[in-house]
Amino acid sequence: MTPSRILRLVLAATLVIAVIVFSRWSSSPPVVSDGTPRAGGKLVSSLRFEPKHFNRLMAADQAALLAAALTQATLLRTNPVTGELEPRLATSWSGSPDGLSWTFTLRNNVRFSDGAPFTSADVLFTFQALYDPAIASSLGGQLLIAGQPLQASAPDDHHVVVTFPAPFAPGLGMLDSLPILPKHKLQAAMAAGKFAEAWSAGSNPADMAGLGPFVLKEYVPAQTIRFARNPNFWLTDASGQKLPYLETLEIAIVPDQNAELLRLQSGDVDLLNDAARPEDQTMLRDAQAAGKLRLVQAGSSIDPSTFWFNLKAGSKALAEKPWLGDETFRRALSHAINRQAIVETVHLGAATVIYGPVTPGHGEWYTPDMGATPFDVARASALLKSIGLKDTDGDGVLNDTRNRPVQFSLLTQKGHTERERTSEMVAEQLRQVGITVDVVKLDNAGVRARYGSGDFETIYYGIRVSSPDPGNYLPFWLSSGPYHFWNPGQATPSTEWEGRFDRLMQQQSTTMDRAERKRLFVEAQQVLAEHVPAMWFAASQVTVPIGSHVGGATPSVMVPLVLWNAERLFVQGARR
Amino acid sequence: MRRTAAAIVLAIGLMALLAPWIAPYHPEQIFENRAYAPPMRIHVRDADGWHRPFVYRQKMVDRIGRVYVEDHSHRVPLRWLSNGHLLSVDADDAPLLFCGADALGRDLCSRLIFGARLSLGVALIGACGALLLGALLGAAAGTLGGRLDTVVTTIADFVLVLPVVYLVIVLRATRPLVIGPSEVFVLMSGLFACAAWPDVARGVRAIVSTERTRDYAVAARAAGAGPVRLIGHLLPAAYGFLRVQFVLLIPALLVAESSLSFVGFGFEGRTPSWGGLLKEGETLTAMYSAPWLLLPAAALFLVVLALQRIAGHTQIFMPEPLTQRARAVSLRPTNEYSGRVPSGPDAV
Amino acid sequence: MRRDAAIYGLRRIAAALILILSVSITAFILARLAPGDETTADLLNGVDERIIAIKRERLGLNRPLIVQVADYSWGVLRLDLGLSARFEQPVGPLVLERGANTARLGFMALLLATALGIPLGIFTGSRPHTWIARMVSVFSLTALACPPLVAALGLLFLAVSIGGIASGPRDLLIPTLALGLPMAAMLERLQSQATRDALNAPDLQAAVARGIPPQRLIWVHAARQSLRPVLGVYGVVIGGVFSGSLAVEFATGWPGLGRLMYDAVQSGDVKLVAGCVFAGGVSLAVGNLIADALRAWVDPRVRGIA
Repeated sequence: MTPSRILRLVLAATLVIAVIVFSRWSSSPPVVSDGTPRAGGKLVSSLRFEPKHFNRLMAADQAALLAAALTQATLLRTNPVTGELEPRLATSWSGSPDGLSWTFTLRNNVRFSDGAPFTSADVLFTFQALYDPAIASSLGGQLLIAGQPLQASAPDDHHVVVTFPAPFAPGLGMLDSLPILPKHKLQAAMAAGKFAEAWSAGSNPADMAGLGPFVLKEYVPAQTIRFARNPNFWLTDASGQKLPYLETLEIAIVPDQNAELLRLQSGDVDLLNDAARPEDQTMLRDAQAAGKLRLVQAGSSIDPSTFWFNLKAGSKALAEKPWLGDETFRRALSHAINRQAIVETVHLGAATVIYGPVTPGHGEWYTPDMGATPFDVARASALLKSIGLKDTDGDGVLNDTRNRPVQFSLLTQKGHTERERTSEMVAEQLRQVGITVDVVKLDNAGVRARYGSGDFETIYYGIRVSSPDPGNYLPFWLSSGPYHFWNPGQATPSTEWEGRFDRLMQQQSTTMDRAERKRLFVEAQQVLAEHVPAMWFAASQVTVPIGSHVGGATPSVMVPLVLWNAERLFVQGARR
Repeated sequence: MRRTAAAIVLAIGLMALLAPWIAPYHPEQIFENRAYAPPMRIHVRDADGWHRPFVYRQKMVDRIGRVYVEDHSHRVPLRWLSNGHLLSVDADDAPLLFCGADALGRDLCSRLIFGARLSLGVALIGACGALLLGALLGAAAGTLGGRLDTVVTTIADFVLVLPVVYLVIVLRATRPLVIGPSEVFVLMSGLFACAAWPDVARGVRAIVSTERTRDYAVAARAAGAGPVRLIGHLLPAAYGFLRVQFVLLIPALLVAESSLSFVGFGFEGRTPSWGGLLKEGETLTAMYSAPWLLLPAAALFLVVLALQRIAGHTQIFMPEPLTQRARAVSLRPTNEYSGRVPSGPDAV
Repeated sequence: MRRDAAIYGLRRIAAALILILSVSITAFILARLAPGDETTADLLNGVDERIIAIKRERLGLNRPLIVQVADYSWGVLRLDLGLSARFEQPVGPLVLERGANTARLGFMALLLATALGIPLGIFTGSRPHTWIARMVSVFSLTALACPPLVAALGLLFLAVSIGGIASGPRDLLIPTLALGLPMAAMLERLQSQATRDALNAPDLQAAVARGIPPQRLIWVHAARQSLRPVLGVYGVVIGGVFSGSLAVEFATGWPGLGRLMYDAVQSGDVKLVAGCVFAGGVSLAVGNLIADALRAWVDPRVRGIA
């Protein structure tokens, strides 16, 4: 191998590469959808996590939600964009005078994907499985009202009566997370005590059947989930064409977010199942300019990350640092934080400043500037001074009455860039008022473990919310709720204001009058704002990138962002 | 060439030691409206003619598009050795972003300089520890064979297969939520040494066991050399391998540092680290539109290059000249073979 | 000789089995001791605590640690690695499938590394001061100093920018390059050094004196000499495949063992973690055996020595 030979080889290789690059450069422009639905075609989306389970009753991860949205159907559905209740398997419903019983009329001539007829027996079976203690469904644990299950009965094959144990204002919206399972496929498994494994990730797709627009065709572990059109799907579009339009739907499993974006750019993937991060927008905008995809603004996110304090009585945090339990201290912190800077730096401007857990994405439930604590460093310092925190040793850090530095730890999730960066900004901003914050970043499991054991002082974390209606997540609001993160699972409210808050939230969930509910909710939020058990900073703008040849997409801020409406998606032209 | 490499390493070491004066800013200082700001260009000439080196302020034009333009309204002269820093600008015209800013608007240059202290320190000490442990154990196993060999090999294999990540998680769980950087430093170097020695040991063992069969070694044994002495004869044969391993370990440990911090065992809070900086650059957005975020990788490459040159290559597998071996076994020293061409460290 | 070799082989296999068993059980214990378990994810998902309690009972998480370890060990001895809590599937077949994928990737990467690294190393070692040798060395160092995720992502980026290159999750090209190039670089460095030393050795100086042509000298005599020690450390290279594949699998989506392990750690699925370690132990043992066999084949004097 003489040097000259090598040189020649290298030159040849460079030439070949140059030819390839040039040919790709001058390739034809991408196809753009013109809005006319047409049948056929394949759509590819992506997921970052492998599915555990295809049975919605057993798993609540993103993959299970997606699979349920695609292959199963519910009695009714809350349209995530308009907020209206839409009939699905139930064509109409009427309530009893006391509002506790609802009678549903089921759609006629509906068949499962395997041809078996759909009757009220399937609905009853689903309810039975939902609350069966032997199965211990996580979904069942969430669909409880005042700790009691819903009762279901069927007067005949085409009618179902669902009884609520107590008045529940959000009403039937709760039922849109319950897919109706096929009795004929799962009955045997339930009887044998094998319901939990029945539709697991390794099961045979032929054992599954559903009423959704698609059917699970194949799951190649860690690679792709393939869905095919359900020939028995019961919905047609306005012109009478049978839905869904798409022939095949594929979900590619791409664990790395960067790789996912690359595939979107290259056309391997048509749409993502997650909102685009603000820092990726430059790249996506360029792709939009080149006509490869379009960026759709779906609205404001409804589950912003939350900064909360460990207010559990007797916790180590409160024992060592009693000022954490002082409202004035917490309010001072809220004044010391420059939320606008967080919006501009972490979210690059694509977010709204919020002071409470309700964001513009909650629609009518949002009140702008509710509980606002404007950015005011002087005020913050004054408040801190008023509770006896001053810098006694001149090192720039405040000291408490025991002469110890005012310092606390902030636990957040490693790998989640928004949470990491916001935590760092918060720490830097609080440093300006003389408070030292140690940001501790742990992986997801570590964070949850520390939260579970109560070994933390403050946390910046988030919880996925499934509905904009506040009545739908009482386990979060109520002090007795497991979700009431600053002091979960209280037997009786430990503070007066939490008791007041509980009463208000209970009332608003049982009052049927919408206006009255809103008034109560506003009052409840004011109580929360006054006592600052937690702080909120920014609600990000949800931007969804969609391939330009995909039509019929109506993205929402709730998961699944685009595929909630998969039956109306269509593609134009051949895939690149 | 060796001198250049030594100079580079010395410069980095000095930089790390004198970080607070060399770095223009505190590494955690966030500058408003500077997220993803590109590196500032140094000018010496403008419409008015030649000046001392200066920069222009940056103005953000598009926030989400991260577009910055130079504000040509006035020159901002660079100040040397003032304000307690090597290089700075007046406070009104701050910030001076030599290497650009990261996602939060923090000066990347300062973060690199400060990060060098902890990260390089941990990687160096961890690598040295691993080499020491691995060389001794591997040489012992390869020389003496038998039971010791089986024990060492089994332990080495055990450590290799065991997921260190779980050990770290368990360790992390036993420590309080907030652990100081010095404790992390000690624990991390120790962890690195414990995790990296098996590879070194296996390589040394393989080399030494081949060496053992060579004539001079057989002769030494026959002459009655004890086990320690024997190891002393055979170990030099692995020096080259050890040098290569050293150069390979540093970047591997720096990357490992960022994986460790993923399970919560990293330098938290106010201390940047090269591992963390590397991770921030490992994103598409960096490659596509903010390539200065990949500077830590370039810095790492420079360090590796310099170390490589310093460590040099003299020999990996071939024994030292017969003369020196002969001396070791107390035979008459001969000088007839001196024709070994020194393949010095200037050969890359 | 045959019987000795057979006994030696059996001893090695027994040692390997003990290693695999002990390391899996240790991984199980460690994973159990780690904070959180299979139900931790439900904690912050608002799942009712009664459901969590039932799940814990079903998974046997309330039994004392000793009992759980004993139960698991007994299972491993019968090659029953338990049920993965995350996937609700038996661990064994799952790990086998993914392990086979990683093995495939590792094999291809090793092939690439050997085919590229060794000849290049001989080439650069035989003419150390030429500009081309320096260039190759710089490339090698870049490949070695580059963090694996950066390399994998960069290659993917390149592939996508050029377009038309098979870069889907099932295509082997990019993952092989991402995993194989750094390995090739390491082999090149080692081989280069070994070649240089071989060329300086007295026996080769003698060959020069005998008038053997330089090409033959380099590619036959020196190569043979230098391959011996390089193959000796091949085992170390094989060992690096498993750990190096994680970043590559992540970025390219290759469905291998590294990803499975990461997933298992993230979801606290203890049995799956232990199962992955089991597979890792098996692959290491196999790799060790191959490396030792190579060494023995290349250097007969090493045979019979532990």
